[in-house]
Amino acid sequence: MTESRPLSNAKLGVLILLGAETMLFVGLIGAFLVFRMGNVTWPPLSIDNIQLPRLVTGINTVLLIISGYIMFLALRAVQQDRIKQLRNFLVFTGTLGLLFLVVQGSEWVQLIGKGLTLQSGVYGGIFYVLIGCHAVHVLGAVIWLAIVIGMAIAGRFSSVNFTGVETCTIYWIYVVALWPILYVLVYLA
Amino acid sequence: MLGWLPENISEYAQGVDKLFALIYWITVVAFVLVIGTLIVFLIKYRHRAGHRAEYIEGSTKLEIIWTAVTTVIVFGLAMLSFPEWNNLKSPAENPDYVVQVRGEQFNWYMIYPGPDNELGTEDDLELENELYVPEDKLVQILLTSKDVIHSFFIPNLRQKQDALPNQTIDTLKFQAREPGRYEIPCAELCGFGHSGMLGYLIVQTQEEYDAWVAEQWPE
Amino acid sequence: MQENENISHEHDDDEQHEHAHDDNDTMEHTHEHDNDEQHDHADHHEESFIRKYIFSLDHKMIGKQFLIYGLIMLFVGGGLALLFRWQLAYPETPELEGGKPAKAAKPLPIIGPSQKYIDDGEVVTGADKMWERIYDSDKEEFLEVNMPSGLIEPHFYNMLFTMHATIMVFFVVVPILVGAFGNFLIPLMIGTRDMAFPVLNMLSFWLAVLAAVIMAAGFFVPGGHASAGWTGYAPLSADPQWTGVGWGLNLWAISLLIQGFSSLVGSINYITTIINMRAPGMTFLRLPLVIWSLFIVAILLLLAFPVLSSALALLIFDRLAGTTFFTSTAEGGGSSLLWQHLFWFFGHPEVYILILPGMGIASELIAVNSRKPIFGYRSMVYAMIAIAFLGWVVWGHHMFQSGMRPGMGAFFMTTTMLIAVPSAIKTFNWLGTMFRGSIRFTTPMLHAIAFVSMFVIGGLSGIYMANTPVDIYIHDTYYIVAHIHYVVFGGSLFAIFGGIIFWFPKMYGRYMNDTLSKIHFWLTFIAFNCTFFPMHILGVGGHMRRISNPMQYEYLQTFEGMNIFITMSAFTLGFVQLILVFNFVWSIYRGKVAEKNPWNVTTLEWEAPTPVPHGNFAQIPTVYRGPYEYSVPGEESDFIPQAQPEHAPASAGD
Repeated sequence: MTESRPLSNAKLGVLILLGAETMLFVGLIGAFLVFRMGNVTWPPLSIDNIQLPRLVTGINTVLLIISGYIMFLALRAVQQDRIKQLRNFLVFTGTLGLLFLVVQGSEWVQLIGKGLTLQSGVYGGIFYVLIGCHAVHVLGAVIWLAIVIGMAIAGRFSSVNFTGVETCTIYWIYVVALWPILYVLVYLA
Repeated sequence: MLGWLPENISEYAQGVDKLFALIYWITVVAFVLVIGTLIVFLIKYRHRAGHRAEYIEGSTKLEIIWTAVTTVIVFGLAMLSFPEWNNLKSPAENPDYVVQVRGEQFNWYMIYPGPDNELGTEDDLELENELYVPEDKLVQILLTSKDVIHSFFIPNLRQKQDALPNQTIDTLKFQAREPGRYEIPCAELCGFGHSGMLGYLIVQTQEEYDAWVAEQWPE
Repeated sequence: MQENENISHEHDDDEQHEHAHDDNDTMEHTHEHDNDEQHDHADHHEESFIRKYIFSLDHKMIGKQFLIYGLIMLFVGGGLALLFRWQLAYPETPELEGGKPAKAAKPLPIIGPSQKYIDDGEVVTGADKMWERIYDSDKEEFLEVNMPSGLIEPHFYNMLFTMHATIMVFFVVVPILVGAFGNFLIPLMIGTRDMAFPVLNMLSFWLAVLAAVIMAAGFFVPGGHASAGWTGYAPLSADPQWTGVGWGLNLWAISLLIQGFSSLVGSINYITTIINMRAPGMTFLRLPLVIWSLFIVAILLLLAFPVLSSALALLIFDRLAGTTFFTSTAEGGGSSLLWQHLFWFFGHPEVYILILPGMGIASELIAVNSRKPIFGYRSMVYAMIAIAFLGWVVWGHHMFQSGMRPGMGAFFMTTTMLIAVPSAIKTFNWLGTMFRGSIRFTTPMLHAIAFVSMFVIGGLSGIYMANTPVDIYIHDTYYIVAHIHYVVFGGSLFAIFGGIIFWFPKMYGRYMNDTLSKIHFWLTFIAFNCTFFPMHILGVGGHMRRISNPMQYEYLQTFEGMNIFITMSAFTLGFVQLILVFNFVWSIYRGKVAEKNPWNVTTLEWEAPTPVPHGNFAQIPTVYRGPYEYSVPGEESDFIPQAQPEHAPASAGD
């Protein structure tokens, strides 16, 4: 319609969605910072015996970043019409995403066992809500990816028709890129 | 409009009424100018047969003028308000009396430190909804709340401050000029009893106040 | 069915417009689901009732659905207001030292029992019979709990004003301005066949319906509905023990979360459509101002609502999962100011979401009816952008008395004062647009004039609140209530009424009855001012908002007469709106049939045939000029449509 239209509707739509996602996390991170600044000691003294699993989560972080890179390779593959590679890369990405969730889940189970629950003051509360909100996003991205894998297996993509992969890649990389920020804020700082 | 303001008995907040009056006259003039122009335009440029509108796309000069004028006025107002704001919202220096006020659904509790001038000791006196102060003395209120957010509002002193649970706010202070009995409503919705959450400020002459003190804390 | 029509439609366009073709082409690629596209405009075949009126994908139908949804909710919200206005006018007068003599409260009209029944239990009226039955029954009837004997309980009063504001803000003004006008106008005015994502568009509407149903359900759960104000200040809202409200407030939060999804989906759609689907030649600086306003508002909604969603999520956790995010009294607890920060960080942009489209609509109406270009089109656009931008850095002005650090008050006062500048620019430019015009006093123009003058009052009264020392006094008084109603009712709602009358011929192919519209306008205008202007005086007198009984305060007893006057005016205002409803419904079926471009407007929506078929345009128009080419010197016609090719002889009035 207009002479220049650099982005397709779907791609633009996803980018706009990311704006909203960002603000959702801005709200939650803002809450986190308010609690963080409001408490002289962090974690508060009452839950001092609990250490967040920094190392395992650090490894998990690396896993997630790798998955982002592989997702990018998948996009490159479909752009160059390497459909078989596309499938492999997508499946690999999805597996890493699932692995991330599984590790996170087991960490949560351990933390809850140690006594850090949603009710453990704002420290526990915001930890589970913020990290959980990101986990829900990863889960959403994995489901989206599963649909894309299905479509890839059905042969729906080619070097001229890959919007489905592209939008999913944008979302995946967004979710991946968000994680290190949360990791540094919640686990390290 | 200005006549509807309740009597101002505050030594501190006389400036508020002055600012109010200033803004009032600025806005009245602005309103008359804008609406007057609007009405003149509506009459003068109404549709008439054979008359055609003039093709005017805008005027940068005019726009710069009214942008500048508005900016100057609002910044001027802001400048005038800063000192008053700081004056009203800074902790009291060397207050003559300190009273702790606690909001609690749906009452104000006034806690007097007693003869030892220290809160949290044996001789504290807690009154329900009655705040006794002597006239012309600087009184500092340490405001807090037990449950939800309340707002301590004394219309006649032009003072208002939200009370936050588990936090003490020390910026509320006043100096009342006229003896009398004034109402202290709660101004922030605090539950079903919000309407009717009401305390009284009782301003007394120094002698009356001393007598009241003597009655409360007999030697 | 899509396949065939898509082909025939593309074929159509091929001949006349290459642009349109490559549009469809791209769309085919971009969509995972081809049936997102519904371009069966070329031939009209019968769609099933459900497809056409219920689960429609057509932006015009969705726009109309939003309009009717908003108007229904307007009556719900207004009805709630009338209930609590009655309480404010005729509350119980307690015995006060030096006050007026004690007096019993007056029961509501119609549903309240008669005096005879109250005094000696004698059943006289139908209402008495009803109350007799209610008191005899063992169940806790709704009326018995909330309005025993036609008197509003304080707790119910809190629910009423909470829901009045919630409904008006989230379920009336936003759905009508953004949902109805946004959906109806954006594709038509930028010259495209539909929204970028029609299925999402439908989803947006039905999510809004779901949210409204959940919100309505809240009244009937045990403990009653949310009663912590539309701002839902925590910790009052965070723990059921403070209000006694259980699931009502949870439903309130859940409903708003769903409404947030609806807005999110809608704004993605609007932004994509405006960026990607403008007709050839429709550059950004040729967009009509109403489209600009909707574009900016869509961005604000997109970015603001998720912040509220995050706050609502934390609130729900506090209420249901035992967290203490907003309760600072607990050990390791949270912050009681956090909610206010998050809420107003969303809430202030939200306030501009409520007014900006009104400004856009008013700009259209004023330019068209003054037969003149908008004065300073560019600065109008920049002013709206400035307002939208500043909206993010002023949230603290809602919290001057909240215990926020006083130093921050100075910052927020400055930014807030700054907003007066773009607002003033807009006002002066509207006046400039009328200057040396040829003003036609059509009913939409009357509404636009009312919009401007009410907005001036609402804007000027805002200066008092921006001024922190004065705000100390008028904060949380009726002054605020007057201010918000002058902006949102006097501003947005007049723009909405004007817009409905203006675009009605395009929506339904008929005019609304002008006599009724004029009567409705004048009565609304007068009743509106009688209702809300005195509230300024109440505010100056120190009358707190959200109190159910002003007669409990000695210094407010003088305002009894004024409260009664306001209530009478409010009832008038409410009943006058029935004229609008009657006119609206009657005109859909019986109104005078409208021609294609009845108001002689330049913008693209009037190029489409009336009533607008599915797909809007027989061929996508090409845009040759800006949206406000009225009374161009040397031209015979006093308006040149945007789609009219250059140097073509002007033909007036078709």
